[in-house]
Amino acid sequence: MEELDPKLRTLLDAYREACPDGEPTAGFMPGVWSRIEARRGSIAMLKRLAAATVVAAAAAALLMGAVLIPQYSNHEIYSATYVDALMDDTDLAAYADLTHAQEAHK
Amino acid sequence: MLVEFDLIQRAKSGDDAAFNQVVQAYRKRILGTIARLIGRPEDVEDVGQEVFMRLYYSLDQLRTPEVFEPWLYRLTVNASYDYLRRQRRRNESRMADLSEQQVMMADAVAGGKQRADDVYKSQIREFVQSLLGEVSEEDRILLTLKEVEGLTLKELEKIYRVNENALKVRLFRARQRVLKAFRSVETARGEAKSKGEQEQ
Repeated sequence: MEELDPKLRTLLDAYREACPDGEPTAGFMPGVWSRIEARRGSIAMLKRLAAATVVAAAAAALLMGAVLIPQYSNHEIYSATYVDALMDDTDLAAYADLTHAQEAHK
Repeated sequence: MLVEFDLIQRAKSGDDAAFNQVVQAYRKRILGTIARLIGRPEDVEDVGQEVFMRLYYSLDQLRTPEVFEPWLYRLTVNASYDYLRRQRRRNESRMADLSEQQVMMADAVAGGKQRADDVYKSQIREFVQSLLGEVSEEDRILLTLKEVEGLTLKELEKIYRVNENALKVRLFRARQRVLKAFRSVETARGEAKSKGEQEQ
């Protein structure tokens, strides 16, 4: 691999010396733990929020079911048989007219 | 490795005392690396705390203790990168801070409060930071890890999880950009010097 320019190499070496591995302050470790605790708190809050959302969604689904199912189960369309539905859907008068017309044609 | 594999394993399984020992073993090295990556001594501990906090929450994803050091370096690189990106967004205020720092430094020197060695080191830091500012954050971090931290290409491969050739290409480009900036500064200095001599 290509070597670095000697002047730039010297400069970067001087930079390495100008930024030595510094000794951390006394507040470093407590700072790390307070960040860990803060994140733990926000994770716990998110979990609680997620759990509350699931419970609320389940309750809403149950409530909607309790209100809507009895209302719609008494509806005519759900209690009618297939023949009743077919009869309702068919215009008997028009069918009778069509039958008469066919007989007259014969 | 600065610690035994067993200690990392214990920290991984949730032993807070073991985690404390791991942090104590690595904090000096990591803070030094961060200092050279970001070039802002006042923010080094802040970024360091972020690194160890991320380590705490990602230790369970570590497959084997053997890859712990590249893993920690990776976290350091990511946290430094995030910091540098935030700094770029705050570039204008940073410039204001810098000029204020320079004024304070000049005052301190005039008052004899700061030793000449400290001033020299500050100038070196500032100069290298301005040179590294000529490349992207990614290239700056890669260049610092290779040329200042002295990591080998094999070590960089483990940190970046890319092949050696890709790293070589990126390094070559980053070096070229920094070298270009370095030469333009040198040329400007040379011109200023000869102008000064002519005036005398």
